[in-house]
Amino acid sequence: MTEADFTIYEPDNSLKKGYASLFGEIFSEINKNRWLIYQLFKKDFVALYKQSFIGFLWAIVLPLVSVGTFIVLKGAGVFNVGSISVPYPVYAILGMAIWGLFATGIVATSNALVNAGPMITKINFSKKSLVIASMGQGLLAFVVQLGLVFVLLLYYHTVPSVDILLIPLLIVPVLVFTLGLGFLMSLLNGVVRDIANMLAVVVTFLMFLTPILYAKPSTGALATLSGYNIMYYLVAVPRDMILYGTSDYLNGFFLSSVVAFIFFILFLAVFHLTETRVAERI
Amino acid sequence: MGAVDVALSHVSKKYCKSLRRSMRYGIRDICRNTCGMSSHSDVLRKEEFWALKDVSFEAKQGEALGLIGANGSGKSTVLKLINGIFWPDTGKVAVRGKVGALIEVGAGFHPMLTGRENVYLNGAVLGMTRQEVKEKFDDIVEFAEIGDFLDTPVKYYSSGMFVKLGFAVAAHCDPDVLLVDEVLAVGDLAFRRKCYKRLKELRDENVTWIIVSHDVGTIQSNTDRVVLFDRGEMAYVGSPEDAISKYLYSLSQKKITAGGAVEHAAPPHGPAHQPEDFEVDRVVLLDKNLRERDVFATGEPLAMRIEFTAKQKIEDPMFVVSFFNGDNELCSESVSKFDGVRIDKLEGRGSVTFKTASLPLYSGIYRLQLIVRDVSFVPVALEPYAAFIKVQGGKHDTAAKFYMQHSWDVGLAEEINRQAL
Repeated sequence: MTEADFTIYEPDNSLKKGYASLFGEIFSEINKNRWLIYQLFKKDFVALYKQSFIGFLWAIVLPLVSVGTFIVLKGAGVFNVGSISVPYPVYAILGMAIWGLFATGIVATSNALVNAGPMITKINFSKKSLVIASMGQGLLAFVVQLGLVFVLLLYYHTVPSVDILLIPLLIVPVLVFTLGLGFLMSLLNGVVRDIANMLAVVVTFLMFLTPILYAKPSTGALATLSGYNIMYYLVAVPRDMILYGTSDYLNGFFLSSVVAFIFFILFLAVFHLTETRVAERI
Repeated sequence: MGAVDVALSHVSKKYCKSLRRSMRYGIRDICRNTCGMSSHSDVLRKEEFWALKDVSFEAKQGEALGLIGANGSGKSTVLKLINGIFWPDTGKVAVRGKVGALIEVGAGFHPMLTGRENVYLNGAVLGMTRQEVKEKFDDIVEFAEIGDFLDTPVKYYSSGMFVKLGFAVAAHCDPDVLLVDEVLAVGDLAFRRKCYKRLKELRDENVTWIIVSHDVGTIQSNTDRVVLFDRGEMAYVGSPEDAISKYLYSLSQKKITAGGAVEHAAPPHGPAHQPEDFEVDRVVLLDKNLRERDVFATGEPLAMRIEFTAKQKIEDPMFVVSFFNGDNELCSESVSKFDGVRIDKLEGRGSVTFKTASLPLYSGIYRLQLIVRDVSFVPVALEPYAAFIKVQGGKHDTAAKFYMQHSWDVGLAEEINRQAL
């Protein structure tokens, strides 16, 4: 028998082991817990929709209401959505669907640890799996909303570009960004509960600040701001690719994707280093 | 019993009393750990306190180690450290193999999910693979005795069913080290027996046990060695008998002090007695006619005469007589000192008799245990098998555990009216 057979717990564990082993550990943990992630996702899904008549169709209610409001405002001449070359409902619902990946995902992930509090303090299991599994709700809602987009495309006789087949690839950056941020937020929310409340407000505010339900204005403060808004590129460019097959902001998209990946790697490492310390404050 | 499975060396753990400070410290620790700086966890900050201080012990493979102590003495924290839920603030915890925990069973259940779905979810959370859960699924369901309710959401389960299913999953996850925290007091008697049986099976498979309890009976009948905790520090490590006697002594001292009555003198380090100083010559069971017998009927008077020889003078001793049933569960325990009986001293030959006017036990074989302790609670005599009795319930066949001495009054209607007036 050697030291290697033992699991060792001591303060500043990772400092002693060094950062090199970090990502190997993370990878093997996630790989080992694939089934757990699926089970946790299933639990979230069932808990949300089981005692409900229309079940996951609720996922299309929110975008329909938001977009409906904008259509009414637009019709009344109160609000100008800018020039859009496809039917507005298609444009807006598709935007909302991609945005929803971020909005639903960040709220769900930030609550992932706190909601499982009693379990975390009694059973030692993979906490990363909890955060990853909580992304599932947003993904499922996206699939349902995509169904709505297809219905609208048929209704308006609009033909999307062939890039629509690349959807799984196009949404990777926004998923990575959300999950990365989610790792950090779930930790912070474990220590300070204000985080989840704050995020719910910020996400709503950001939705109106980001050109999703309207076209990006060409001049003014909002145009400048959108130029630095990572979420604008991560949502608008996939939408442009799906609808038109091209986008004016491909460079912004690639840059944003790189930033998203860096955030992801960084926050995943932070999570790995501090998850146990946070567990005792939940 | 061989290699070491669990080893704690100089382990301490601190908690924070104030939530607000805990938040601030939490953020700071996250930042420091991320930047590769030590969080200096060995230093107490304001409003922090040591919940556990400098604890070191080992558990060998196949050993059953008990952790005993009053509430808040740190024993549950030790389990969390071994389980890896918390990190120690100083020292090192080393654990070999897969750790299973019977700590608040059913903690991972979701009320909306059916029993079947929860078995899979809970199995996954407890570290089982899909294959393992599949293989053991039938065993788990059979053990839990939930029958037709398998596909019903667990929120409609009775609390007993809930706990049974939780225990069933946890008891089938094949650990190398099993942590048990006060969960054995769940379910009905029959199920509790089954739990003990399952735990004994695991022990036969060379699983290392660590049991936390403040129930002396559980510790005594299930452990090989005991660690006694007192306010976060290790007060004693040794045989269950010695640890329990020290624990009881510390408790009795606290109680007397709290009651404002006589305070014990400083823990008496009086003349330590050797086991050969005192000898139990004979234990005799007598019926009401003072005839020797070992078969009694429920409700019958019983006397247990203890004849002894004390070679050294033993002052202010106490006699402890305990009854264990066939499942080795502690049924009754009587302590002469707590009953207010003071025995001045034991010297030379003599006898002490324990008497009950009505035997409160139903059919079965019972084991009587005798312990004689000196003034500092150190046992001078220990007879786990002092005697056996067979109790016959007669016509009365019941699953009840105890027979209460009682009488019946049958009143007539006029009498009730008279009383009402």
